[in-house]
Amino acid sequence: MKTSIKIWSLGVLAATTLVGNTACTELLDESYSQVVSEKYSPTNDADISYLVNAAYIPWRQTMLLWNGVVRSEELCADQDVIPARLGIGWVDGYIYKRWHQHVWTTEDDGVLQGWERTFEGINTCNRLLSQIEDGVIGVTGEAKTELVSELKVLRASYYYILCDLYGNVPIVTDFKDTNLPQQSTRKEVYDFIVREITENIGNLSETARGYYYGRFNKWAAYTLLAKMYLNAEVYAGTAQWNECIAACDQVINFAKSSGEYGLESDINAPFLTENENSKEIIFGLPFDEVYVTDWNAFDFHMYTLAPENQDTYQLKARPWGGVCAIPQFIDTFDPDDQRLADWYITGQQYSYAGDSLFESTTGVPLDYPNVVPSIDESYPYQGYRWGKFEYAIGITNRLSNDWPQFRYADVLLMKAEALMRAGKPGAGALVTEVRQRAFGANPAKAVVSDADLNAGSCYDYGRRDTYSTAHEGGADIKYGRMLDELGWEFCQEGRRRQDLIRFGVFTTKSWFSHDASDATKNLYPIPNKIMLTNSNLKQNPGY
Amino acid sequence: MKHLLSLLTLLSVSFTAFAQHTITGEVEDQMGETVPGATVILKDNPTIGTITDLDGKFVLESPKANPVLVISFIGYATQEVATEEKKTVKIILHEDNQLLDEVVLIGYGTQRKGDVTSSVASVKADNFVKGSVKDVGQLIQGKVAGLAITNPSGDPSGGTQLRLRGTNTIGGANTNPLILIDGIPGDFSTVAPEDVESIDVLKDGSAAAIYGTRGTNGVILITTKAAKGSDINSVEYNGYISTSTIAKKLEMLSASEYAALYPDQNKGFDTDWQDEITRVPVSHVHNITAMGGNTKTNYIANINISQRQGILKRSNFDSFQGRAEINHRLFDDKVKLKFGILGKKTEANNTGSGGYDGYIFSQATRRNPTEPVKNEDGSWYENTSKFEYENPVSKIYEVDGNRKRTTLRMNGSITYNPIRDLTLQAVGSYERQNYNNGYSETLEHISSLRDGLSGWTTITASTSMEKLLELTARYEKEIKGHKFSVLGGYSYNETDYEEVYVNNYGFQDDYFGGWHNIGIGSALKDGLAGMSSSKATTNLIGFFGRATYAWRNRYLLMGALRYEGASQLWGTDNAWGLFPSVSLGWRLTEEKFMKNISWLNDLKFRAGYGVTGSQPSRSFLGVAMLKYGSYAYSNGSWIQTIVPASNANPDLKWEEKKETNIGIDWAVLDSRLSGTIDFYNRDVDGLIYEYAVPTPPNLYNTTIANGGTMRNRGIEILINAVAYRSKSFEWNTTVTFSYNKNELVSLNGSVFKTEYDYFNTGQVEYSGQVTDSHRVQVGESIGNFWGFKVVDVDDEGRWIYEDRNGNLVNYTDFTHAADDKKVIGNGLPNYYAGWNNTFTYKGWDLGITMRGAFDFQLINSARMNYENAKNSRFENRLTSVSDLVFGKHTLSKEVEPEFNSYYVEDGDYWKIDNISLGYNFGALGKYVKSLRLYGSVLNAFTFTGYKGIDPEVSTDGLTPGYDTRFRYPSTRSFTIGLNVKF
Repeated sequence: MKTSIKIWSLGVLAATTLVGNTACTELLDESYSQVVSEKYSPTNDADISYLVNAAYIPWRQTMLLWNGVVRSEELCADQDVIPARLGIGWVDGYIYKRWHQHVWTTEDDGVLQGWERTFEGINTCNRLLSQIEDGVIGVTGEAKTELVSELKVLRASYYYILCDLYGNVPIVTDFKDTNLPQQSTRKEVYDFIVREITENIGNLSETARGYYYGRFNKWAAYTLLAKMYLNAEVYAGTAQWNECIAACDQVINFAKSSGEYGLESDINAPFLTENENSKEIIFGLPFDEVYVTDWNAFDFHMYTLAPENQDTYQLKARPWGGVCAIPQFIDTFDPDDQRLADWYITGQQYSYAGDSLFESTTGVPLDYPNVVPSIDESYPYQGYRWGKFEYAIGITNRLSNDWPQFRYADVLLMKAEALMRAGKPGAGALVTEVRQRAFGANPAKAVVSDADLNAGSCYDYGRRDTYSTAHEGGADIKYGRMLDELGWEFCQEGRRRQDLIRFGVFTTKSWFSHDASDATKNLYPIPNKIMLTNSNLKQNPGY
Repeated sequence: MKHLLSLLTLLSVSFTAFAQHTITGEVEDQMGETVPGATVILKDNPTIGTITDLDGKFVLESPKANPVLVISFIGYATQEVATEEKKTVKIILHEDNQLLDEVVLIGYGTQRKGDVTSSVASVKADNFVKGSVKDVGQLIQGKVAGLAITNPSGDPSGGTQLRLRGTNTIGGANTNPLILIDGIPGDFSTVAPEDVESIDVLKDGSAAAIYGTRGTNGVILITTKAAKGSDINSVEYNGYISTSTIAKKLEMLSASEYAALYPDQNKGFDTDWQDEITRVPVSHVHNITAMGGNTKTNYIANINISQRQGILKRSNFDSFQGRAEINHRLFDDKVKLKFGILGKKTEANNTGSGGYDGYIFSQATRRNPTEPVKNEDGSWYENTSKFEYENPVSKIYEVDGNRKRTTLRMNGSITYNPIRDLTLQAVGSYERQNYNNGYSETLEHISSLRDGLSGWTTITASTSMEKLLELTARYEKEIKGHKFSVLGGYSYNETDYEEVYVNNYGFQDDYFGGWHNIGIGSALKDGLAGMSSSKATTNLIGFFGRATYAWRNRYLLMGALRYEGASQLWGTDNAWGLFPSVSLGWRLTEEKFMKNISWLNDLKFRAGYGVTGSQPSRSFLGVAMLKYGSYAYSNGSWIQTIVPASNANPDLKWEEKKETNIGIDWAVLDSRLSGTIDFYNRDVDGLIYEYAVPTPPNLYNTTIANGGTMRNRGIEILINAVAYRSKSFEWNTTVTFSYNKNELVSLNGSVFKTEYDYFNTGQVEYSGQVTDSHRVQVGESIGNFWGFKVVDVDDEGRWIYEDRNGNLVNYTDFTHAADDKKVIGNGLPNYYAGWNNTFTYKGWDLGITMRGAFDFQLINSARMNYENAKNSRFENRLTSVSDLVFGKHTLSKEVEPEFNSYYVEDGDYWKIDNISLGYNFGALGKYVKSLRLYGSVLNAFTFTGYKGIDPEVSTDGLTPGYDTRFRYPSTRSFTIGLNVKF
């Protein structure tokens, strides 16, 4: 009996413990690697910069991650191609062929990535603006005004990518509005971008470097504005040449007065591994092989070099290169143009020690010719390779070079093109200034006049592969020489499509294995995956 | 002991009684074997009785002449016999097919099978699949209607997958059934298959609701062997040795065939790569169980050693485990204490950082057969310039990988019966698992030769802890035909998980580095090594109650309620949920008007309704969370950015399954033929899934939310029959059949709305490209394949497609637009069937288990990749590469691999899964109580039209039916085993 009393009291004790001890009725709420937002309050400058810099990361991602904007701008254009590589691959379900031939589908990865990664930037800007508004991010006074303006211009810069690729996209500025976004027309998007920049540019910092490297200061914003005006006719139907010139002049005047920006005398300087101090870079996207570790973060060497080139640069990883220059484009270069010699990897390849390299499957010398048979068939050693960015000896599969999204040469050539199109003199001098660096040994060849730039293109368009050969030429292209100049200076920089569209060439000419397409291809379609999440979206015409 | 008892009985009888009538008799079973230990009592006076001796004989003194005897023995039907003066009675006991008195586990207690009102299936050890089984799941493959257990790979370290009554969640919630081992949560590999006594499956919602949250995907109760009954002191040994062969090889081109097709690529050697990576494996398993004690204190101890070899070289899996349980009764049996301890160590080889690298098999199939395994100098033949091309044999040998898991589980319970009908119980358990995985590649590995990751090495270590406390009080009473019980309880479950991961490379040589000395790689110095750690805790708290009532075994009622909170839902508005259930039964055969129907032994109607819930599998989804994002460059240095971790969803709540079950249990012809039929309807509301949402307004392009409703409807039939029975021969047969119709009823939740009534999911891979494989659509079943439909080829062997409007389109005109994709198959079988037979003839026993799945399709990834004439990477091809497509033309070289309907095949199969033949020698000599020798084959034959390796593939989640080319090939295994009892 005594025992059972003991046991009963044990039971009562257990029951009391259970009800009394909240640990027995409370749910666990401890998070270990993440923090509940409410428990985090950023106040000092460092905290704020951890938050704000997150808004810039989508820029480097959308440009350079796998099937990013660089590919969307280059693989559909007349300078570069990824042909099927016998023994290596690069057929990949014909995605590169579809890019080349302008028959991409709404499900193609390249169509999707440009949208998703870019909108991530917009989202982040909207979120930060909302947090600043609510006081969650503790910034006040002038600092607040500047930060808000910077984020608005940054958001506009993401819209610039979307306006260029997809045109008719939703404009979303209110982070708290959870309604399904409504689609805007390309013109509305253009107007929004221009308005956002012009309204906020006055609040931006004029500091060129240090804290403002890789961020939107006043000069990066003017360059962006110039880009918008340069393409205004395409984006919104009305040309804005004088506005473009004025925006460029803002940058040029500051560069000249401060010496902070300017042309490098060495054409390779903006593309070196340690290029963060190049005065030519106005808006750079910083990379580092240790800190920026996304797969394919910036991997031109992996993407263009043949496997055997691993020995040339003592690369950590064996490249699986595919992308090369379209031979017709290479043929447009002046043989004395240093940009051809320095920015393309051509001819016999050597190991780091200086021994000749051989293609390992076929045993033939690894000797890049300016020959590519067709989009469907090519040997791994065929075609000139991308070499504009320095491939540092011994690097991993990621480059540490910063990406010069906007550079000073671009400002000069934008102004030149706008002057010419506006019927004003002075374009030749500006182009000459940029060319002089590339013709150091033949300064006479650097000189072009306004009249020269009015001539047609020297690009011999027309199908040129094993299936078919035609010579359409480029003489009929208005301001064709200006287009050629842009091609030579900005090759491999992820922008050719935009230039071709502005010069009316993108869908009208043929090259390599590409036939002229139709005008609807000047815009990419809205990705299928995106259409499935927002019924307000209407597909672009032609898809 | 028995002799002594008999003697005592005899003595007592002879001293106290006079004018006694002596009855002698002998008890045998149907096979003529004597039955020792059977209880014999007088019907009129149950206090007088005896038990049979070792020869099955008994002597009983009765005060009355010609008494009626009642003879009973576990496992046999109780018999009554009339006796005659001076005549020896011979009693033949029949195995008990009238299983109504059998005890069934129903969660926190047991119930007479006859009183069960919900859908519960029970499989005893006798009916288990025999042979080289990987885990406990494989023991009951094909044995339980509605429970689909698949064995998707031959990997010895892999396990089985199971699905009960269709696909019930679309991925955001826990998908595993609750597996309880003697009441403590675990999994199919917690205990050794040889240590299992019986398995009970709670199928419907009314049965599982007592487990609330965790019961949605069904509850499987595993009962391990325990010391019980009269024959308590024994030692049992089970052991077997087995080998296996690859169930079916992929028919790749031989060297000569390949060379004929690709003369440029002929390297002049002849290598069968599938042979190079496989071997004749030998596995052996030893299980020793000792039990003993008395009715007050008893114990069981078990040791299990297994060494398993996989069909692929260097895929080994060893385990060593022990379990001990002690039961102790005190205070006049009012208090019962139980202590259990389970320790387990498993060890396996790795050829990849996480386990066996599936890439090895796919590399062996794709590799050029004219290439040698090694160069003349003994180094591996590699071709580092070819993309995704690695010597599979080198990938086996140039690694040193080892993963170990150590489990320690302690559990105990106190049961107290203060009065006869009241049971108070406290159950506690604590389990800790340590996992260590070290993996290194040598400098001869492709990762060094090609990728510059010289000596790539990783270490993973994790600790997981789970503790459980359950307090229950149960009151049971029977008053004049009214039998009722009430149960109340509390349950607390907590988990804690910690993990550390490190990787490094840049080792100078193979001597000093590796995972035993990871720090010396240069990648660490260069800032390129990786390191991470994490920790997560969860808990689950439940209060529950249950009441049962039965009137004269005729009308049966059960109701249960569980109130439960899950930490995964912390921060949402709905962390606690209430889950009720009710079920009713009507035993018609207990009604007076049925008593005259003698052929009908049992007929019971059951109906039940129950609600169970599932919490999301991730925590902190209800609140906004911050995490570190990528590095950004700011003012000359790299800083870590801070970004939101997910879209917060405070509306998130339990996914709820509402299930109705109607069943019939029946038995006829002296219960020689019996069975059950169940009809069910499961509606799962508030499906938790990572839904695609637009960005903006959302931060991330997916949100975990409660979407729509999924319905599974089906029928399950089980028939047991003693098909033939004579003195020496018996044939028992069991047929199971199930049909399940899955339908996604809606995708819209009460708060969350989707834009469209479908979404795409899954991935098929072809030549390194991926595309969506499946579409989930309202009104359709889960598992629809979503791709282009080809109906023919043209004169050059190029596809002719059927477009969105049903028009035929040529290859060159087809734009491969998303809108032209169609439903081209479904990977979820609608029908499952099993047919199990046991034949016994004298000492022989033969078991044949067959099972099949029907009405579904498979995506044959091997054909999709290796049947294309276009071969820009010059990989090997299936011999079927030269087959005529649609009987017309070989596939054009212009055609690039793609996912289309030509690679979708019917997957229907019927497997003769397990054949086992044994001989029971019975007792041998003085010490051996029984001895059985057997041989068995697992995965013996497969009848199917499917062209791939094995139509039995994963049916998990939203993407069933994808037969990937990376899978570890299925095997057929042959076993010889021995069971001895001392």
